[in-house]
Amino acid sequence: MSDETEWIQLARKGDQVAFGRLVVAYQTPVYNLAYRMLGNSVEAEDAAQESFLRAYTRLHTYDPERPFRSWMLSIASHYCIDRLRRRRINWLSLEDEFARPIRLASDNPEPEAAVAQREREGYIQQLLAVLSPTDRAAITLLYWYDYSYEEIAETLNLTVSAIKSRLFRARRALAKTVQGEPEYAM
Amino acid sequence: MRCKQAVQMMSERLDGRLDGAEIALLDEHVAACDACQAEWRKLQSLDALFAAAPVMPAPLRVRVQVMTRLARRDQARRALVGGTALGLGTVALALLALAPLLLGLLGATGVLPALISGGPETIVQILAFLETASHALLVLAEKFIVPLAFTGLCSLTVAFTLNGLWLGAMRRLRAVH
Repeated sequence: MSDETEWIQLARKGDQVAFGRLVVAYQTPVYNLAYRMLGNSVEAEDAAQESFLRAYTRLHTYDPERPFRSWMLSIASHYCIDRLRRRRINWLSLEDEFARPIRLASDNPEPEAAVAQREREGYIQQLLAVLSPTDRAAITLLYWYDYSYEEIAETLNLTVSAIKSRLFRARRALAKTVQGEPEYAM
Repeated sequence: MRCKQAVQMMSERLDGRLDGAEIALLDEHVAACDACQAEWRKLQSLDALFAAAPVMPAPLRVRVQVMTRLARRDQARRALVGGTALGLGTVALALLALAPLLLGLLGATGVLPALISGGPETIVQILAFLETASHALLVLAEKFIVPLAFTGLCSLTVAFTLNGLWLGAMRRLRAVH
């Protein structure tokens, strides 16, 4: 029996120490998903916590035949989708978040590479923000988790053909957004 | 191949879901169509941008915060269950303490014998009892004021003691967490 399986079994019996180990193992994937979907670190941190709390209370519904990672990411993505739907899209705050001028203050100089990285991160989040919550989840699972269409479909409770068309639609929307903008050379 | 179909295939090609023949068809169209060439370049550029984006590491405090919230929630649940049990226990104790008085009251007014013997006339007797109950209670309250006060005081003492013990146990639990 793997460590993870043992932690899950113990956590299902109410062992919070074992659940803490699962949190440590999955906090970065869950946080990254929330960050990519919600667009800022404060909300992402709160969403990650909430996702773990939901997972703890729903552990009895977890099917051990399914990878725990998929189950956990499914909870997190549905939570983020709900949160995005509830949130009235505040374009002003999004602009504040991403169009924040890059500081090059003389008392705290940032290396050029870090500035470029920050700028690229802001640009990526700005692009993701134009997508619908579910499309955003699909793109995030595809690029940051290397999920197949089948895995994305399972995580988001959708069909494979729905994922195929969602990814197509999302890419078209992203391509339209970057229309006329300088391309970020990789 | 039409442009619409070509654009649909581009997304699948980026995800490695086209076979060799489909790729050849797409390439043939893209090579001959300026608009699709521009679209393909844009999609490739976006693909590279997203593929190179790093995974954002979670702040270390996430685990601590989750565990703290779990512990708090458990405490609240335990307090609720304990409080309910305590309340019910107190009521049960008070009822037990008052039972002899209530039985005495029912016996003195003739209702208890009527209830025990049964029969249709019981209902009539109960209605008659309810009619005069308020008067009887007032008279009996005067007679039994001392034992009633004593019983109430005992119940309150028991309830406060149990509450104190419960709060102490909760504080110890919180210290452990």
